[in-house]
Amino acid sequence: MAATQALAPSVTSRRSQRNRWKKQLPNYLFILPHVLIFAVFLVWPIISSLRISLYDWKIMLPPDQQKFTGAANFTALINDAVWWKALEVTIRFTIITMILNIGFSLMVAVALKQNFTGRDLFRTIFFAGSVLSVSAVAIIAARVWDPQRGILNYFLTDVFGLPRIQWLGTAQTVIPTLAITTVWWTFGFPMLAFLTALQNIPEPIYEAAKIDGAGQWQTFTRITLPLLTPTMLFVVSTQFIAHMQMFGQAYTLTGGGPGNESRTVWIYMFDTSWRFFRIGYGAAMAVVLAAIMIVVTRVWFAVFRNRFEY
Amino acid sequence: MTTTTLAQPVSSPSPRKRLVSTNTLLLWVLLIPIVIVLAAPVWYMFSKAFTPEANQFKYPIVWLPDPFSLTNFQTIFGDRSLPILRWMLNSVIVTAVGTFLVLAVSSLSAYAYARLEFPGRDVIFAVLIISMMIPSVLQVIPTFLIARDLKLFDTYIPLWLVGAAGAGTIFFLRQQFFSIPHELEDAAVVDGAGRFRVFWQIALPLVKSALVATGILIALGFWNELFWALIMLNAREVITLPVGLLVLQQGGYVQRGMAFAGGFIATLPPLIVYAIFQRQIIQGMATAGLAGR
Repeated sequence: MAATQALAPSVTSRRSQRNRWKKQLPNYLFILPHVLIFAVFLVWPIISSLRISLYDWKIMLPPDQQKFTGAANFTALINDAVWWKALEVTIRFTIITMILNIGFSLMVAVALKQNFTGRDLFRTIFFAGSVLSVSAVAIIAARVWDPQRGILNYFLTDVFGLPRIQWLGTAQTVIPTLAITTVWWTFGFPMLAFLTALQNIPEPIYEAAKIDGAGQWQTFTRITLPLLTPTMLFVVSTQFIAHMQMFGQAYTLTGGGPGNESRTVWIYMFDTSWRFFRIGYGAAMAVVLAAIMIVVTRVWFAVFRNRFEY
Repeated sequence: MTTTTLAQPVSSPSPRKRLVSTNTLLLWVLLIPIVIVLAAPVWYMFSKAFTPEANQFKYPIVWLPDPFSLTNFQTIFGDRSLPILRWMLNSVIVTAVGTFLVLAVSSLSAYAYARLEFPGRDVIFAVLIISMMIPSVLQVIPTFLIARDLKLFDTYIPLWLVGAAGAGTIFFLRQQFFSIPHELEDAAVVDGAGRFRVFWQIALPLVKSALVATGILIALGFWNELFWALIMLNAREVITLPVGLLVLQQGGYVQRGMAFAGGFIATLPPLIVYAIFQRQIIQGMATAGLAGR
């Protein structure tokens, strides 16, 4: 009795549910093109990278004839001095570039937040570098840093009488030099992000601070910076992701040299896979770099989400 | 400084004006050196592009073409193995088709995740979000193998599809669709418009500025893409400008003047486009940057 009563509505609801599904079916067409591309060119490659890293993968052999070597690629990485150098170079480049890029772009953004004649023109000029391609940047930068005929050394030696510096030629200077080149090229984007965020801070907050007698520096560190936290999180994580995967600047300007002093992980992976065709070993590098990046960004978000909740 | 403080009690508008201009002057003193540091190397490349090879290494540095000549351009255009205009056309094709494809595919998806209902929607979207946390370094090797197996080398298809596979644009556009009122769409549905028509004629025009903003970011990415072009494209006629510029500096082509002329050709069009559309581009980048929070 109770069962039949309960059955009736459930049948109709199931039918209406089926009807609803049928009506919703065409909605899948909206996501279908992306889901297909996403599956083939993102999900499958990610899974495949993890798999290939466990093989001594030969580029000419079909997948079923590849030799499974387990963790051999990863243990080989531990004993590979060039790998450790590449990791060190990548991390050093990332830290230096992030500090310079964020500091400089924030400083420029604070200046551009003021209301003054020519502000829009400055803003336009400052972002212009970001439309150049890395190859064009390399042609320009090669001549700026050239030890013999370079623009910078001309000013250093001929104008100020200082010693010549082998900017891209020594272990000590090559990474900072590449970092400065990167800042020169890319600071426009973080600058615009900071500028937009600064302009969205309501003016009354500053007026209140002024009334309370806060100085300019105090206002900046106690009000502006905390209110910039969401933007800072965004900028720091995008910068981190971009610079940890640096390839173009070093590939075009130094080719990884001198020695291995600017051979980033990405360049080492590129050489390993495309010059020496050790695909499995290259994939292992990609897996470790990705793992490091994911862990660092997760920790970073966890720490800052909790510390700054407004 | 003293005059402004003295003038202050007398009348309020005039010292105010002077105070602003002191501020302006101060900022100019701060910012103009930055402009010079940014612009001088580019200017140097431009002037060397018009300087004959023999005078490329003139020292101390000369900031103007000396003498003005077009020989570098004549050498490039005269060399059939360096089809630089073809490379530029290739880059334009990669950028135009790629940007259109990414916007089309992503806006369709973004609209579905924001407005339409279907089983599994939130699960699929969660997968997209997780995928955004995985660095693209993991895509590289397998994508190369896929492109090889599908015989896609020396075509732009892998470049476009790799660009369209990411979920970042979808995530951004989905938020934009959320932020527009859906009464208009509801009214159209009541009037019997199909889902696609509602999307195309009502929802999409309402997020036009966001589309332009991401479109610019995407286009910049395609225009400047070096790595994927390097591993996917080999033949001289199909390579893009960023790869072509490297060719100009290799092997038998170590002529400085030619590299600078190539750099000039590669740099001027984007700078002109940027100068024309700078308002929209800056606005767009600001929108995209803000949405990233």
